[in-house]
Amino acid sequence: MDAKIIEFVGLLRQNGVRVSFSESMDTFRALDVVGLGSRLGVKDVLRATLVKRSVDVPTYDSLFDLYFSGIGEIVKGAESRSMEAMELDPAAYQKLLEDLAKFLEEQGIEPSELTRALLQQDTARLEQLLREARDRSGAQRIERSFQEGQYSQGMQQQLGVGDVARELQHISDALGAGEPDPRRQQMGRFVDRRLQELQEMIRRLVRGELEQRDVGQRDAARMQALAEKSFYYLSEDEIRRMKEAVTKLAQRLKNVLAVKRRSSRKGKFDVKDTLRKNLQYGGVPFKIRFDRRKRVKPQVVVLCDVSDSVRNVSRFMLQFVYSLQDLYSKVRSFIFVSDIGEITRLFEENEIHQAIDQAIRGNVINVYAHSDFGRAFRMFHREHLAAITRHTTVIILGDARNNYNLPHEWVLKEIKQRAKQLIWLNPENRMTWGFGDSEMDRYQPYCDVVEECRNLNQLYRVVDRMVVG
Amino acid sequence: MTSLFASIEDVVERFAGQHYICNRTIATVVYLASHLRKPILVEGPAGVGKTELAKVLAGALDHELIRLQCYEGLDESKALYEWEYAKQLLYTQILKDKIGEVIAGAQGLKEAVERVARQDDVFFSERFIVPRPLLRAITSPAPVVLLIDEIDKADTEFEAFLLEVLSDFQVSVPELGTIKARHVPLVVLTSNNAREMSDALKRRCLHLYIDFPDKEQERAIIMLKVPGVAARLADEVVGAVQAIRKLDLKKTPSISETLDWTRALTLLNIDTLDGALVDDTLSTILKYEGDIRKAQAELKEHVAKVRATAAAPAVTAPEKDVLH
Repeated sequence: MDAKIIEFVGLLRQNGVRVSFSESMDTFRALDVVGLGSRLGVKDVLRATLVKRSVDVPTYDSLFDLYFSGIGEIVKGAESRSMEAMELDPAAYQKLLEDLAKFLEEQGIEPSELTRALLQQDTARLEQLLREARDRSGAQRIERSFQEGQYSQGMQQQLGVGDVARELQHISDALGAGEPDPRRQQMGRFVDRRLQELQEMIRRLVRGELEQRDVGQRDAARMQALAEKSFYYLSEDEIRRMKEAVTKLAQRLKNVLAVKRRSSRKGKFDVKDTLRKNLQYGGVPFKIRFDRRKRVKPQVVVLCDVSDSVRNVSRFMLQFVYSLQDLYSKVRSFIFVSDIGEITRLFEENEIHQAIDQAIRGNVINVYAHSDFGRAFRMFHREHLAAITRHTTVIILGDARNNYNLPHEWVLKEIKQRAKQLIWLNPENRMTWGFGDSEMDRYQPYCDVVEECRNLNQLYRVVDRMVVG
Repeated sequence: MTSLFASIEDVVERFAGQHYICNRTIATVVYLASHLRKPILVEGPAGVGKTELAKVLAGALDHELIRLQCYEGLDESKALYEWEYAKQLLYTQILKDKIGEVIAGAQGLKEAVERVARQDDVFFSERFIVPRPLLRAITSPAPVVLLIDEIDKADTEFEAFLLEVLSDFQVSVPELGTIKARHVPLVVLTSNNAREMSDALKRRCLHLYIDFPDKEQERAIIMLKVPGVAARLADEVVGAVQAIRKLDLKKTPSISETLDWTRALTLLNIDTLDGALVDDTLSTILKYEGDIRKAQAELKEHVAKVRATAAAPAVTAPEKDVLH
């Protein structure tokens, strides 16, 4: 058992669960206290001592089941499949097994160990044989799915499946000999089935081994790939997972920020407060007071282009900003294509994703028009300029592809004068800015920060700088 | 003095005696913690009984519960100990004459200072120390349960400091020396996951994740905590709450809110969820207008479904009465 647990710990580590040496020591001490009596008990113990992050729990659960009951489950599964296929209830099935044993005895057939275990449904023995064969064939080393065949083959050799097949054939022949008897035919069918079941068991076992190596790794790799993937090419499924990723990143950012904020808390020596606080000590300054630096929470105004080409980026940008809403004192958001519309209310009244869906579906402005940044900016200037104060960070998200309309960059100039900072995020590759109908070169001089923002990692970096700075 | 838990079953039993229904996972971790003398880090959504667990643990073991509520800006002087300056000052004022006696006849300033210095541990003795929860837990003459609540709200520096205390169960007060725990306290830390705890802290703890209870468990909790509730109402409430929790809400209803709701319904003499009054009582479990609107729709659907399945037996019962 000790060796098994050590191996299991290794497996957890392979799958990205951090387990320290002291934690595995704890596990052994804990198992000493609780004992190995019940499977669920052991599962609870291992979970309490080894898995400390709730995100790792699903990985742990699936690994535990795969590792500690993998083979047992497979063997039991094969049994119930046989029962179902033969259309027998457990009692009748048991009877069949007994009859078959009697028949073998009468015929004087001495089956090999594996064949006997197969025909007698000796689950424990079968499990053991399979496990030994797995260890000998090195199936634990499997890493890729294309190796499944190779390792199944190896296990079959280790088990001597060829010999078993011959033996079973022999028994089947013996059952078929003589005059037709329905009972014997039934037994014959059972014997034939068992060979298939054996091969099926081996296949499942090898697959299980593969899955064990793979549970967490796969997820981590997928997430990594997702973060680097350009927003342009997301499938429906990826959009869904991206939403989760954005939520997680936003949470992380909040945590980082909370720490940063605290560390910058102590300010200058506060004479007034020190005097007041030390009155109780007769004016002797026992306690020195510092003033708490007041941090003005930034206000944010977001202008999102929601034309076809940048819709995905806008979606995640909005999600990000609204997930972090409590870090700002005020967030106002606008969307535009050629008209501009405010969607702040929409977010107040609806859940984030619903609000985003409604906004980019065209309930607020016509989203099928041709992009006209100039017109949208002018409208903003006319109707909403008051939204910008010297505490406001303005974020404009768009590709600046203006369809050769007038760019009206003077609006940006005025925004910049009023605002704390003006950030432009462009989801296009920097190399293409200024070519064709891109007006990026005209807009750029009026922005404090201009960033390329094509994937989640870039978006994260931008938002990070925005809330910290 | 009640002894430690004898087995996992014993934990379940004694917790039940304290009106706390726990599953085997919780019992196993509690049992382990009491035997390995390791802290438990409890995580889970708000309102599943994390804090309650510590209280019940103290009750079941008949230990005193010492609670340290964490918040942003909590520091050692609030958690461990503090010198009572005002008292020290007061004593020096009162003892002015005595101090005069001590330094009387001293040859020069240097000797006077020497003499005072010889007496200074009078003022830095246990008499002038204010023990805060951590020090109280360590110096307590009887074993205690120490609850460190909402550790995620405290700063990371405090977490690091806590680490030291939790691993050795001793603290050093520079003026007094090292104070070692007489009994290692049973420590329960709770976290709402506002931020991730450091790995170092997690390593030292047993980890317990408490989620919302399943149907049977929640029903058992209601039956236990709301005396006089009709079994049928309990069933319906649990069914409805479990369905509501699956919705995408700003704040999911916790166990205590389920209990509040049941109490409210019992108080209003409502014995089934399809009455008109039920909508008005939803505010006991949901605290946002948007959530309530969502839940109302879900509740109607849920009640309709329950009716559909329960309709047959409900109709046949009165018929029987007529026959007899």
